[in-house]
Amino acid sequence: MNRIKNILVSLGSLDRRVIFIIVGLSVLIPLLKPDWVSLPIKNKAHSQRVFDELNLLEPNSKVLLSFDYGPSTMPEIHPMAIALLRHMFAKNIKVYGIALWDTGNFMSTDAFSQVSKEFEIAYDKDYVNLGYKPGGEAVIQGLTSDFRTKYKSDLSGNNIDHLLLMKNVNNLEDFDFVISLSAGDPGSKQWVQFGTDPSNIPFTTGCTSIQVTDIIPYVENNQILGILEGMPGAAEYESLVETELHTMGVSLTPGKASSMMSAQSIAHIVIVLFIIFGNISYFSRRREDRNNS
Amino acid sequence: MLLKRHIPLLIVIVVGLITLFGHFIAHEGVNNFVKNVSTEWFDIIASFAIFLGALNMMKLHIKKIFNKRRNWQYSILAVFGFSFAIFAGFLYRGAYYLSISDVNAGKTSIVSNIIAEEINESNPLIIQHKLISSKNDYKIDKIYITKESSILLKDKLDPFVENIKIKSIDWGSHVQTEGSLFYWMFFQILNPLSATMFALLAFFVASASYRAFRIRNFEATLLLVSGIILMLGRVPIGDLIPWWMVSIMIVFGIGAISAPFLNERKTLFGIVGGGILAFIVFGILMGWNQNPPELLSIPSIQSWIFDYPTAAGSRALMIGIGLGVIGTSFRIILGIERSFLGE
Amino acid sequence: MKNKIVIYIFIFISLLILYHFGEGIVFVEGSLFTFSSVILVSLTLYYFIDQARKGEEIYLRPIAGLKAIEEAVGRATEMGKSVLFVPGISDLDQVETVSGLILLGNVAEITAKYETDLNVPVARSIVMEAARETCKESYLKVGRPDLYSDEMVNYISDDQFAYTAGVNGIMMREKPAACFYQGKFYAESLILAETGNSIGAIQVAGTGSAAQIPFFVTACDYTLIGEEFFTASAYLSNKPDLIGCIKGQDIVKLFAMVTMVVSLILHGFFQAGWIRFDIITLFGN
Repeated sequence: MNRIKNILVSLGSLDRRVIFIIVGLSVLIPLLKPDWVSLPIKNKAHSQRVFDELNLLEPNSKVLLSFDYGPSTMPEIHPMAIALLRHMFAKNIKVYGIALWDTGNFMSTDAFSQVSKEFEIAYDKDYVNLGYKPGGEAVIQGLTSDFRTKYKSDLSGNNIDHLLLMKNVNNLEDFDFVISLSAGDPGSKQWVQFGTDPSNIPFTTGCTSIQVTDIIPYVENNQILGILEGMPGAAEYESLVETELHTMGVSLTPGKASSMMSAQSIAHIVIVLFIIFGNISYFSRRREDRNNS
Repeated sequence: MLLKRHIPLLIVIVVGLITLFGHFIAHEGVNNFVKNVSTEWFDIIASFAIFLGALNMMKLHIKKIFNKRRNWQYSILAVFGFSFAIFAGFLYRGAYYLSISDVNAGKTSIVSNIIAEEINESNPLIIQHKLISSKNDYKIDKIYITKESSILLKDKLDPFVENIKIKSIDWGSHVQTEGSLFYWMFFQILNPLSATMFALLAFFVASASYRAFRIRNFEATLLLVSGIILMLGRVPIGDLIPWWMVSIMIVFGIGAISAPFLNERKTLFGIVGGGILAFIVFGILMGWNQNPPELLSIPSIQSWIFDYPTAAGSRALMIGIGLGVIGTSFRIILGIERSFLGE
Repeated sequence: MKNKIVIYIFIFISLLILYHFGEGIVFVEGSLFTFSSVILVSLTLYYFIDQARKGEEIYLRPIAGLKAIEEAVGRATEMGKSVLFVPGISDLDQVETVSGLILLGNVAEITAKYETDLNVPVARSIVMEAARETCKESYLKVGRPDLYSDEMVNYISDDQFAYTAGVNGIMMREKPAACFYQGKFYAESLILAETGNSIGAIQVAGTGSAAQIPFFVTACDYTLIGEEFFTASAYLSNKPDLIGCIKGQDIVKLFAMVTMVVSLILHGFFQAGWIRFDIITLFGN
C-alpha cells in the first residue's frame, strides 16, 4: 500500500525532461506511423460555415486572400491556404493574393506554386499575387479607398494596370469575398475593424488555435462568417474540400493537416493524463500531510 | 532640453491630435495624411532605424569575438549569419534563368524534351506549344542559384538554339522568386528553425499544465475541467468518447462537489455508484447508444464553451484592454505621460 | 464641481451639434456616434484628471504584481544576480510597448538604487533607443549615472523566434533572479515564462495581449491582467494626473456597462414590439 502511495506521490513531481520525452514520442510516433492511429475527422459548425459561404460564390467571383502568417505558424495555417486555393480554383474563382506580413510573400508563392501544379491554372488568368506591403491596418484602409495607392505592381514587378485580372478592381468593394489567413497582428481583427465590416464585405478567416478566443466574438456577431480554428479547422476544411472535389471527379493528394491530427490527438490525451496524475499525486500528498499532522 | 523634450513632445501632441480628429474631417488632404502619409513616415523611420539595431548587434558580437569573452564562438555564427543574409539580399542575386530564341528549324521537339526534363514537366508538348507561340524570347521556367548550374542546361541546348541568354531576376524580386538563393535560405533554414521554436510550445504547455493545473479551489477546478474538455473536444478523439463516459465524468464531478458536505463515505460512494448506474440504465432505455444527446458529447460542450463563456470573457477583456489603450493614448497625446521620452 | 459637470455637458452637446450641422461639409458623414464617443471619453478623462489635480483623493486598489516589482529586484540583489526586462516584441507604435517602457523606467530606478545589473534585450531598434533613454534618465534620477551603460539595452532580432531564442539563451547562461515581461507578446510568451521558471527566477508579467494572459498566469508568479498593466505608470508614480485618468477610465467603463444594459433592454422591447425604435441603429456605421 505504501509503495502505491509513494508511486502516486512521485507522479506529481516528475522531472520535466521525462514529460518532454513522453510528449515528444506521443507526437513523433503517430507522424512516423500514421497507419497505427487513424481517426475520422468530424466537421464542426464553424469550418462548415466557411465552406458553405465559399460554395455560394459563382464562377469568376473575385476573392482577396491575405497571407498574414509566417514560417513558425506555417504547419498550422499553410494547409488551410492549400485547401482554400484548391476549393476556389475548382470552382473557377479568381484569387487575388496579398500579404500584410513580409513572410507572407513566401507563403503565398509556395501555396500558389503548389496548387497551380495540381490544376491547369495560369497567372493573370486565374490568380494574381500582389505581394506584401508594410503598414498593417494602413494598407487595409488604403485598399478600401483606392487599391492603387498601395499596390502599383505585383510581386514580380509587373505594373498592375497591365494585368487582366486587375481591370475593374479599384478598391476592396470590388471583391466578392475576403479571406485572411492570420497568425497575429496585423490579421483578422484589423481586416474586420478597418476593411470588411465598414465596407460590408463578406469575410472569413483561418487562424492559429490560440487566436480563436480573440476572434470568436466577431464570429458570434457575424462580422466574420465562420472560422477555421487552427490545425483541427484546417483538417476539417481539407476533408470538406476533398469530398467536394471527389464529387467533381478530381482526385488530389490528401492534405497535411488531416495526417497530423492523430499526433495532436495523442499529444492532447498525454497532457490530460499528466494533469490527472499530477492531481492524484497532489491529493495523495495532501492526505499524507493531514494524517501526519 | 528643447531638442530632447519640447520638440519631441510637440511632434507627439500635434501628430496625435491630427491623427485622432483627422478621421472625422472630410478633407482629402487630411484623410490622406491620416490613412497613408503618417503610416508611410513611420514605416520609413522604422526601416532606417533597423540600421541602429543591426549595427548595435554586430558591434556587440564583434567585441565579444575580439575580447574572447565567454561563448565568443557563438558570436562568429551570429556575425556569419548576418553577413550571409546581407550578401544574399543585397550583393548576390542568386536567381538566374535562361531565355532562348531562334530555335533551329526542326529542332523544337528536341529542345522541348530537354527543357521538359530539366523542369520536371511530364508533357513536353506543353513546352513545345509555348515555344512555338512565344513571339520573343522564351523564358525557361527554372531558377538557378549559381550561373554555373545554368550553364549546364545552356550547353545541352547550344547545338539546337541560336540565341541563349543567361539572365538574372530583377533586384527586389530575387528575394521572393521561387528557386532563388534567398528563397532557398528562407525555406531551408529560417522555416525549420522558426517551426522548431514554435514547436517548443507543445512541450512547455505540457510541463506548465502538469505543474499548474491542480484542484486547489473552485476556480482552479473550473479552469482544469474546462481545459480538459477543450483539449479533448478540439481533436478527433473527442468525438470517439462515448456518452456513458461523459455521464460517468459528470457524476464524479457531482460527487466531488458534494464530498465536503457528506460525512459518511458510504453515502458518497452510494450516490456516485447509484448515479452512474441510473445514468447508464436511463441512457440505454432512451436509446442514447444510437442517438446520444448533444449535452453528453465533449465536442458539443467544447463548442458551447468557446461560443458563450469564452466569447463573453474575451469581449470583457477586449473592452478593458481597449479602455486601457485609450487612457494611455490620451495621456500620451495630451503630453501628460512622458515616460517614453525618458522623463 | 457641479458647475464643471454642466460646463462639460455643454461642451459635449455643442460639439455634437457642430458635428451634426457640419456633416458632409466639414465633417465625415456617418461617424456621429464614433465622434460623440471620442468626445465623451476625452471629456470624462479630462474631468477626472482636473479633479485629481485639484487634490481630490482617488483610491486605487492594490495590485500585487506592481507591489512585487521591488521585492523581485531586491531578491536579485540578495542573490547577486541580474534582472532581465523584456519589453515585448512590438514596436513603439503599440501602446503596450510604451506602457512596458514606463515600467522599465521604474525597474531601472530600483536596480540603480540597489546597484543590481539590468539586462534589456529588445526586438526593435526604435524601442532600443527609447529604452536606453528611459534607463539613462532613471539612473540619473537616482544619482547613479556611473552605473548606466548602453550595453544594458541591446538589440537581438526583429524576428519573433530568433528574439525568443536569444532571450532564452540569455536566461540559461546568465540565470537572472528576476524576470519581467512587460509589453506586447505573442506565442513566445510561454516559452519565455517556462524558461524563466526552469531557472528559478521570480517572474512578473504584464500584457494587453488577451490570448497570452493565461500562459503568463500559469507560469509567472505575478501577472498584470489587461487594464492593470496600463495603470502601472499611474500606480507607481502616484501623480494626480495619471491617477485621475485611471478613475476616468473606470467611469467610462461604467458608461459602457450602462449603455450595454440599456441597449439590451430597449432592443428586447423593440423585438417584442413594445417600442418602434431600435436602439441598435444608433451604433451603425
